[in-house]
Amino acid sequence: MKRISKGRILGASLVLLGIWFVIALLSLNIGSVPIPVRTSLRLLGGFFLGDNSGGDPLASVLFSVRLPRILLGSLVGAALATAGAAFQALLRNPLADPYVLGVSTGASMGTILYSIFAGWLGFAAAGGGMIYARPLAAFLGAVFTVWAVYVIAGSSYRASESSQRLLLAGIVLASFLSSINVFLLTSTSKADIRGIFYWLIGDLSRPVDASIYPVTALVFGGFFLIYLFSQSLNLIGMGETDAMVLGVEVKRIRTCVYVIASLITGAVVSVSGPIAYIGLICPHMGRMMFGSDNRILFPTVFLFGAIFTLSADTVARTVLSPTELPVGIVTAVCGAPLFIYLLHRRGGGKQ
Amino acid sequence: MSEGLVMLEARHVSFDYHRPILRDISFSLKRGTVTGIIGPNGSGKTTILRVLDGIVRPLSGEVVLHGEQPLAALKRKEIARYIAMVPQNGGVYHYQTVFQFAIQGRSPHLSLLGFETTRDEEIALEALEMTQLTPYLDSRVSEISGGEKQRLLLARALVQQTEILLLDEFTANLDINYQVELMRLIQRITRERNLATLVVSHEINLLGTFCDAVILMSQGTICYQGSIQEVLTQEHLKQIFGLDFSVRSLAGGKVEVLPIINKEELHEN
Repeated sequence: MKRISKGRILGASLVLLGIWFVIALLSLNIGSVPIPVRTSLRLLGGFFLGDNSGGDPLASVLFSVRLPRILLGSLVGAALATAGAAFQALLRNPLADPYVLGVSTGASMGTILYSIFAGWLGFAAAGGGMIYARPLAAFLGAVFTVWAVYVIAGSSYRASESSQRLLLAGIVLASFLSSINVFLLTSTSKADIRGIFYWLIGDLSRPVDASIYPVTALVFGGFFLIYLFSQSLNLIGMGETDAMVLGVEVKRIRTCVYVIASLITGAVVSVSGPIAYIGLICPHMGRMMFGSDNRILFPTVFLFGAIFTLSADTVARTVLSPTELPVGIVTAVCGAPLFIYLLHRRGGGKQ
Repeated sequence: MSEGLVMLEARHVSFDYHRPILRDISFSLKRGTVTGIIGPNGSGKTTILRVLDGIVRPLSGEVVLHGEQPLAALKRKEIARYIAMVPQNGGVYHYQTVFQFAIQGRSPHLSLLGFETTRDEEIALEALEMTQLTPYLDSRVSEISGGEKQRLLLARALVQQTEILLLDEFTANLDINYQVELMRLIQRITRERNLATLVVSHEINLLGTFCDAVILMSQGTICYQGSIQEVLTQEHLKQIFGLDFSVRSLAGGKVEVLPIINKEELHEN
């Protein structure tokens, strides 16, 4: 009867943060141009102390290529993992994840549509107030998908049945939307088919623009809000009536969490494309290590998401060096077997 | 607060869901008293509990707490500090332990990002002791028997530390010895904690033995309410269920009810 306490959550989070830091440091050093740990530490130290004197040729690789990519990968992973844990709590199903539910694909459709229209209207280069426009378009795509998934699935009085129908509807909608995405992109773009193809699988290699600031704010703000609902989500996990009996405003909280999870999914997908299965893998790791109480699950899943995605991206950009793979390939290779495993275990009714 | 004080009151409650479910229902729950509701399937028993706990809003009429506070004006969390309900087929989250399940009853008392304190743990342990679940503290909820699960749901409701306890078909699908044991427990807890308890059941004899007051319902209306011996009579039961009953009065205002299924046999003897 171990109790969830602030100390335990803080301890677990600090350990995971430490692991993230070590992997980030390793990832800084690995790549087509190896940078020795000592050099990168010296350059980082110099950066934080405001001493940029070195003019080291490695500094530009470190600061304009690797460090942004590491931070971006961590942010995207943390967001998708959090969204996955939130969708799982809402649907009471460990197979729910923004990618499986089609939310990521819907968000990428929003992004693509925005790019096409922005190109027509002549404000393709994000700047000024437009930095919000692309994440907003992705969010609208995500919310549209959640709505469409619900409409397609229809309603069912049996909770377990309705959660399975929602997953099936999501899978069908995702494949439909991704063919629309490919159609839109191939019919409107002239060049960079490879880049588009990578982005559709989920890719962190593109340079980020100013929209990363609102995206970062949305991810941290959204995480904080979802975390506030974690005990309510624990109770919703037992069923709607039980949760209401125990004092949860079920409908309001469910709507809030859906919107927030779609928002952070949309925000990061607008940057990285729909990276598969992070929202499936990381909550699973969190539950295995810390149990299923959302109060400890959300912070650890957030950090697991950062660690896992950073590691996967490091593998993706080094395993076929100098060719870089999109990170979505690596996460799919890990995630698909886990999905099958979880599906089987549910069939056996064991936990 | 003294015994007999009205804790929760339904005033002319009506409720529709595609068709009329409840019509002009009025009754009250008093402290230290077990009230039973009995009636055929579809008579609206479960809906009454859902209205009383504020899970659904009545179409007309109102539910009033402590004689003055309309339930509709309270937030769910506030309601959950006054009223505990054990729903029919209450949810059991299979990978939780018995203790983790029970301590969730503290949720209405926690702040938004609150954590259970040692005091909350003591309250949970006390309720588990009362429901004789102490040996199973660390067992998974999926591992315990049906009767133990019902006791666990009761324990979670007790952990809420409310003044009002609503139980929906609480003894359904259990062996008769478990049914008696559970009703005895509910009666004892109602007395010890001075609760206002409402039990919805199909078991006429359990209600006739363990309740202090009883409500007889049919087709969304209350047909009779009052003391056991006033309500559970041959004529009333015949009217509601369309069967003959043999009703025997017992000491302490209780009754024993037996449906007469095979009339010929009875006449021959």
